[in-house]
Amino acid sequence: MPETRHPSQPRGAVTGDEPAIRTRGLCKHYRNPWTLRVTQGLADLDLEVRRGEVFGYLGPNGAGKTTTIKLLLGLLQPSSGGGTVMGEPLGSIASRRHLGFLPEQPYFYDSLTGPEYLEFTGRLSGIGAHDAHGRARHWLGRVGLGGREKLPLRKYSKGMLQRLGLASALLHEPDLLILDEPMSGLDPFGRRDVRELILEQRERGATVMLSSHILPDVEMLCDRVGVVLGGRLVRTATVDDLVAVRQQKVEIRCTGAPLVAMPERWQTHVTRFELPEGTTFVLDDAHDLNDVLAWLVGARAVIRAVTPQRPSLEDFFLSVAESQASEQRTA
Amino acid sequence: MIALLIARNTFREASRDRMLFGALGAGAALLLATQLLGPLALGEGVRLTVDLGLSGITFLGLILVLMVGTSLVSKEIDRRTIYNLLSRPLARHVYLAGKWAGLTATLWTVALAMGAALSLLLAVRGHAEYVPGIAQATVLAAFELAVVTSCAVLFSALSTPVLSALYTAAVFLLGQWSYDLRAFADRFPAPVSDLCRLAANVVPNLPVFNVRTLAASAQCAPAAHVLIAGAYAAVYCACMLALATAAFESRDFK
Repeated sequence: MPETRHPSQPRGAVTGDEPAIRTRGLCKHYRNPWTLRVTQGLADLDLEVRRGEVFGYLGPNGAGKTTTIKLLLGLLQPSSGGGTVMGEPLGSIASRRHLGFLPEQPYFYDSLTGPEYLEFTGRLSGIGAHDAHGRARHWLGRVGLGGREKLPLRKYSKGMLQRLGLASALLHEPDLLILDEPMSGLDPFGRRDVRELILEQRERGATVMLSSHILPDVEMLCDRVGVVLGGRLVRTATVDDLVAVRQQKVEIRCTGAPLVAMPERWQTHVTRFELPEGTTFVLDDAHDLNDVLAWLVGARAVIRAVTPQRPSLEDFFLSVAESQASEQRTA
Repeated sequence: MIALLIARNTFREASRDRMLFGALGAGAALLLATQLLGPLALGEGVRLTVDLGLSGITFLGLILVLMVGTSLVSKEIDRRTIYNLLSRPLARHVYLAGKWAGLTATLWTVALAMGAALSLLLAVRGHAEYVPGIAQATVLAAFELAVVTSCAVLFSALSTPVLSALYTAAVFLLGQWSYDLRAFADRFPAPVSDLCRLAANVVPNLPVFNVRTLAASAQCAPAAHVLIAGAYAAVYCACMLALATAAFESRDFK
């Protein structure tokens, strides 16, 4: 069925139930041609990324993130399984018409200048010559590389190349952006700019799939995240859902309690830190909060602050990774 | 259209490569050397200039193919610049055709520049009658370089730059000796003769592009020869690019 869209509607906000990315049983095995040993890159991946969302794809090095991305782009052929990208078969030319991609640590042609490279890639993505010329200059300025039009790419720093790669991925206003470690090599200002660009793309209606090791950024940007470990997708959920299931720690800061001994019954779930500015107690959950506060007041300590600590995505990720590793050891 | 974009980009990259300027400088030095050696050639100075000048076009073109062409695709894979291209809506055979066309255009530019310099030199020295032969020999040398480039693209899509350079150099040498290989085939017993015949049929028939001897005598080959050589080069290049596509189409970029 042909896509129907009002001219004022953002390009990415295509109505319909078809997700931006859908894979079913996607597998990738590598066979060593000499030893014939088979290594599993990705196993049985069932993944759905909804249209218009920012999806974080998390996992440690070698977990299968880049393998998944390369399968979606058609740079790798699946060993089995398949899927669709923007409703088109995985790896097909038609699916790549909707795509913008930023590889991890992008490299470009050394002797080209920024505008030349952007015009070239824009035209490869189907933009006309005149339009590509204008967009190249616009996006070069938009990613903070304006004024460097004549500088050959071999003189670009790592962060500048990352920005150029992002401009190249965004130039043709794709419906789906796949970003592999977009914050890699960027300083704090660069990271802030990239975060803003990603949010801008979501506003435009584009779908964004990003893999990153910088979990606070993922937490800040993503509607949902998927965690891949050992080539398997172990969890997909919203960031809030993932962290809400974990116990919430509470931190109590006080003064005047350095010599008071903590009752033995709390030793297992209350941690005490003696700092120059006072004493800090960290409760593993809020269950004993009133009792601990009553005990501190009774011991003549002055309560300075009681702060609930929201578990971070990083905590969740590390706990999932550790539990997966311990399961594998047990198996 | 997309192939032309890739060809243009490849041409732009190659034309800014120091290697190209080195080749043009070496060509100029070669022409200068022919002028210095001319008086020692016992009246054959013009013949020496034409012969060496035209040989220089093929030789320097071959050096460029070995230095640039054999890493044309593999360098893009190693440096991962290919990810930025193949993640866009273009077919892999279009990519290969574009790379080949871009490097071929670069080599033709070098051949044209050297042929023009040689013709100008002879015209200035009052030997304008050699110019048509030189023009024809330059065109045929350009066809020859297109064929060698297609072999380099095939090997580059399959192997490392060093091995690609070795394979391409081997094909060039065997191609130059293709008539000798057929002669060997008639003189040796069965397994060796079959092998020689097979090699002679598979490698490009490069002597068909060599009219240097005629050009050095201020003569031209028949126009039909140039047309047939051109058609042969087109068919051979198409076959090599089709083979490269077959190997490249299902390749994984890890």
